[in-house]
Amino acid sequence: MMFRKNLQDLLEELKLDPQVEYWHTMEETEAQYSPFPEQLPRHLIDGLHRRGVTSLYSHQRTAFDAAEKQENVVAVTPTASGKTLCYNLPVLQRFYQNPAARALYIFPTKALAQDQMTELNELADELENGLKCYTYDGDTPAGLRQKVRKAGHVVITNPDMLHAAVLPHHTKWISLFENLETIVIDELHTYRGVFGSHVGNVIRRLKRICAYYGSSPTFICTSATIANPVELAEELIGSPFRLVQNNGAPRGKKHIIFYNPPIVHEQFHIRKSSTKVVNDLASEFLKNQVQTIVFARSRVRVEIILSRLQHLIKDDLLKQSIRGYRGGYLPSQRREIERGLRSGETIGVVSTNALELGVDIGQLQVCIMTGYPGSIASSWQQAGRAGRRQGESVVIMVAGASPLDQYVFQNPDYFFEHTPETARINKNNLIILSDHIKCAAYELPFKEGDGFDDLSPEDTAELLDYLTEMRVLHHRTDTWHWMSDAFPAHEISLRSAAQENVVIIDRTKRGSPNVIGEMDTFSAMTLLHDEAVYLHEGVQHQVELLDWDEKKAYVREVEVDYFTDANLAVKLTVLDIDDSRDAGVCSLQYGDVMVTAMATIFKKIKLDTYENIGSGPIHLPELELHTNGFMLEFDPDFFDDLNDEETEQLLIGFCHALSHVASVHVMCDKRDIHAVPEVKAVHSGRPVVYLYDSYPGGIGLAQKIFEQAEHVLMKTADYVDHCPCSHGCPACTGTQGMDDWNVKRRLLQIMRNLMEGLA
Amino acid sequence: MKLKHKLKRMKSGLDEKPAQQRRALSSEVTDFSSIGFYPFYLDGEVSYRRKREYPLSDRLVHRIQSVCSEWQKLSYCSHPLRFHDQPENLLFFDTETTGLASGAGTKIFLIGYARLKKDSMEVTQHLLTGPEHEQAFLAGFLDDFAESDTIVSYNGKSFDWPQVKSRHAFLRERLPLLPETGHIDLLHAARRFWKDRLPSCRLSIIEEHILQKKRTDDTPGNLAPLLYFEYLENGDPLRLAGVVDHHDHDVRVLAELYVHIAEKVLFPERAADAKELSASARWWDYLRHPEQAVPFWDRIPAVHLPQEELLPKVKHLQRMRQYESASKLIRSYPAPSAKHYEELAKIEERRLKNRHAALEAVQKGLKLNPDPAVAAKLIKRKQRLERSALSG
Repeated sequence: MMFRKNLQDLLEELKLDPQVEYWHTMEETEAQYSPFPEQLPRHLIDGLHRRGVTSLYSHQRTAFDAAEKQENVVAVTPTASGKTLCYNLPVLQRFYQNPAARALYIFPTKALAQDQMTELNELADELENGLKCYTYDGDTPAGLRQKVRKAGHVVITNPDMLHAAVLPHHTKWISLFENLETIVIDELHTYRGVFGSHVGNVIRRLKRICAYYGSSPTFICTSATIANPVELAEELIGSPFRLVQNNGAPRGKKHIIFYNPPIVHEQFHIRKSSTKVVNDLASEFLKNQVQTIVFARSRVRVEIILSRLQHLIKDDLLKQSIRGYRGGYLPSQRREIERGLRSGETIGVVSTNALELGVDIGQLQVCIMTGYPGSIASSWQQAGRAGRRQGESVVIMVAGASPLDQYVFQNPDYFFEHTPETARINKNNLIILSDHIKCAAYELPFKEGDGFDDLSPEDTAELLDYLTEMRVLHHRTDTWHWMSDAFPAHEISLRSAAQENVVIIDRTKRGSPNVIGEMDTFSAMTLLHDEAVYLHEGVQHQVELLDWDEKKAYVREVEVDYFTDANLAVKLTVLDIDDSRDAGVCSLQYGDVMVTAMATIFKKIKLDTYENIGSGPIHLPELELHTNGFMLEFDPDFFDDLNDEETEQLLIGFCHALSHVASVHVMCDKRDIHAVPEVKAVHSGRPVVYLYDSYPGGIGLAQKIFEQAEHVLMKTADYVDHCPCSHGCPACTGTQGMDDWNVKRRLLQIMRNLMEGLA
Repeated sequence: MKLKHKLKRMKSGLDEKPAQQRRALSSEVTDFSSIGFYPFYLDGEVSYRRKREYPLSDRLVHRIQSVCSEWQKLSYCSHPLRFHDQPENLLFFDTETTGLASGAGTKIFLIGYARLKKDSMEVTQHLLTGPEHEQAFLAGFLDDFAESDTIVSYNGKSFDWPQVKSRHAFLRERLPLLPETGHIDLLHAARRFWKDRLPSCRLSIIEEHILQKKRTDDTPGNLAPLLYFEYLENGDPLRLAGVVDHHDHDVRVLAELYVHIAEKVLFPERAADAKELSASARWWDYLRHPEQAVPFWDRIPAVHLPQEELLPKVKHLQRMRQYESASKLIRSYPAPSAKHYEELAKIEERRLKNRHAALEAVQKGLKLNPDPAVAAKLIKRKQRLERSALSG
């Protein structure tokens, strides 16, 4: 009989582990209460009492008071701080005062909407005040839709549905839009980057329709901790906001542990793989039945860790209680896993950041991150998954080899004291904007002199003229009328640059093909090419055929001891330079670039040793991306003393370090920005380092880096300088230094040159 | 001009093409008489309308009358095709729109209907001469139809009428209320009768294969949006001639189709074959009027009853409480399937209280090696029958 250790025993063991580089304990905090507002009906207070809410937390009261004054509110609330009352209470109060009042709740995903509806309906049942709350999304049965449109006091939906199903059909929603008093936007921080830029435009359209029907709703937003909640809310909604952040919810004790895998190769400074370390740590907790969540950065990692964990744990029952969770699983599968976590039936879950969002999965004790999640905000979101109001919990971050991870581990202060990242959107990205102007013109004709919410009438008119030239609109008298037989919202996806997804079809069972998931086209190029090994719920599948034209990938279950890793070749063309600065040896530029990406080859990598055991070509067409870029164009003779190979190594190292550090300092997600070096650029014949936004039209990141170039370069130099290696290593310069060729020293020298030039 | 310039470059290579130069146009001075439309005035606003009268054959007039008088006799029955008013109150209605998706940006540019007169049919069409004239356009349409009218359409319940409602919603403060009229949608009826034998139930297909009329020189309906856009760009009403005639033709075909289908539902002798008979019969059964279905079922000789119609007929007999006949029908059928035996067992057990016969039916059914779902049900029934045989 195995002796089962509890969390305390496991913590004691960890304290002795030499690989723990940093241990931070956050003491528990007491609750801060505020009384119920006086104007709240007795009935409602009684109802809340029956549900165990005897008083409000301070932030809930502040939010209520601000909303009562018709202010737009953004409440910054960590996980499990009772944020739902921040908006449910004002909405219920408004409904009491005016039974015709309607509210629209916008959640980023369908799953969150379901949770919310259940919660609000239970509260409404308790109060017996006749408030009807419905979700309206792709799962809403056709028979119920009319009822929701006509009778839903609170309609819960998501931005995609608002974009494609509600706004284009606003004539069916007249009673909602005429009486709309409150719009709730939950998880505000998720509306950043491309997605946020789209949603900002959907809100412009929403406000336009509301104005048409004579309503001017106020907004209540909730957000996880980010550096600029008010700025983001104001940018996204286009109206002034009031910040509420006096969080009064209690919190249990929490240990945050930085765990750096041991170095296995001194000279090359190579550490043990973080995936392996995570497997060992997680299986220790799981064997002792401590509920644990493991976060991995990619879908492939999730599946690799899941299958290793299931392999490490011998107990069959326990094995079944460990699940994977990521985009690409079907919704029903996800709901089942969420239920299992809440009920405790599921002991462990391995997830991508899909579980960062407020999906209710109850309180877990341990959270393990495979590598730094890429942003401070995201890290705290994931850490919030472990431990809620009471009890001790543990968060372990296991560093990967990437420079970003090592940078964070070098500077724990950065993590604990640095302001979390700034969330940025660019509503005026031309491609996104013109797409939504199209949708808006479809919904209501534009009149001369109309702006598009906070877009000036002049700019609006210019875009409308463009659309008229493209024969989408028809301009006559003083109005632009829609003139196309298309339905524009269906051609525009809010979530991704690629409009179409690839459907994954499992044909293991002869004669009964089964759709097991889907993936965006850009990811599919490297994950679903012919012969790729695709993992789904820990089961290996081999792609038999990727039908690119039909956007279908046919897979079959296999059992092999390797996974596949594909290369993406990227080419850049500078189209237009908007701005430039002279840095002596080099010119800094910002402008429009064209990126062409093509998947070239894939490697087969052995599961346990990670060695390369074969490769093959990928035959897929090129994808084109027109975006904004930041360029460092060096003098042609700057690298004269080096041969091409050495120059290339230096530039690769530069890109490697710069892109990681830049991503930390200007934005949220590593994947939103890419760096590419060219020894001889096509347009100038000079050595160039490019950084570009990985989205058509750009979302303002390259521009920010251009503006803050001194700062970013200095941080990059610091980082490379502080890396413990001597000649450059995979963590800092991305390549191996050699005794006679010190990449690191040379790179530092270049950066100093640059900074002097800029000063 | 910077925004526009950038957009053009970004989107180069996409298949959007700039428009050609258009000539300025103002509908006020355009002459629509070339396509038969004339202005009329309503509260000072001008609206364009075309009215045409077509002679009706004596034969068709007669058919319409007999259909209407037959519905009068059946006034106690509810049937989606039922109409018990004067033939003049039938409004054969259709629209042409600027897109096939329903949504706020799709406009109706041609709306109209055919109405029966004594020995003729009058087609009225209203044309949206430009998007700024929508109010007058809809007001003109609303002006001459009434609550007592019944709309007859083809897919109008899910497309045309919601579209009218959507356009009306934009102008609801400046327009009279939409009348709540009756609405008969012939698409559903056509599907019941001919779905299995036709490649699709589009109106043109029905017209060709069921009404045996082939159109010549027709402008396909799916070109309508593009032709309308062309008209808006160059201002020449003649671009619309084909669409207007197509629409005119469509509403007249609806009148004929209504009579054609109503006859199938009302008069068994009008059925072309056993399939049409059973379609009418099943429809009546479905509407809980099995007594109306009797003459239709009776016209199909038992030996010619298609396999897929056996079960519906058995159900019909049960609705008529003719359990013996239902049982006999299955027994005498050349090759009943396992499902049929299951139904027989049900009738024997529940209605005729003959457990022995029920067990026999179950066993026969099981011998046919049915698919697992049916087999499971049969086995369950078998076990129950055997148990109760022991205890009883």
